[in-house]
Amino acid sequence: MKHSFIALIEDKCTSCMLCVRECPAWCIHLDSHTVDVTEEGARRPRKVNVLDSFEIDYSLCMYCGVCIDVCPFDALAWDEHRALVTNNREDMLLGIEELGPSGSS
Amino acid sequence: MTRYALTSDSSVSVEVVSASLACCTLELQAALNSGALTRVSEGGTGPSVIVIAGTVTDALVPSVLELIHSYPGAKVMSFGACATSGGPYWDSPPVSKGIDQFVEVTAYVAGCPPRPDAFIQAIQEISSDRVF
Repeated sequence: MKHSFIALIEDKCTSCMLCVRECPAWCIHLDSHTVDVTEEGARRPRKVNVLDSFEIDYSLCMYCGVCIDVCPFDALAWDEHRALVTNNREDMLLGIEELGPSGSS
Repeated sequence: MTRYALTSDSSVSVEVVSASLACCTLELQAALNSGALTRVSEGGTGPSVIVIAGTVTDALVPSVLELIHSYPGAKVMSFGACATSGGPYWDSPPVSKGIDQFVEVTAYVAGCPPRPDAFIQAIQEISSDRVF
């Protein structure tokens, strides 16, 4: 597998922050909020994290794969779809939309 | 300064000047010798490219700027995370947080280190004068 891109599989992410904390370059930014989910028979609502934003700053990313290794839910994965070259540094900050695995968009 | 042409299309050529500052230098040499580029002795009108490869410390900024300004009209390529943003050393006081604070950068190549094909892609973009 080429180390060319780290893709986010959004629906697997639980906003646990492990990748954010383990990244040696601190290049991942994540925002989330919690919602109450009421289940029948439960004595109180369950708190569930909802992902608001997920950004990888590819101007800092070392492509080391630590985030992929630590993710307990396999929400991050190596992807082959690009070698990032740009003329605008702001383009290197990729959000949920751009981080989708190749073939999904 | 050495002129390189694309092996697949010899009409595309660039002069490459590298500022060798850290480990990305070795990766740059590997990319230059990966087979996708061929060293040519003369000919070609492609632009000059100054490749900043490696960590730019504050102490080195004047020397790097002197190198860049000694090639007027040359395009600047920021090769790797360090030159682009400080990379893994972004929170280190003596490390500059990207050479684009000092000069205009034509191409940023992501990676730590970038892959050779990313470098080749950047060369193609620069030499074709295409807007990214």
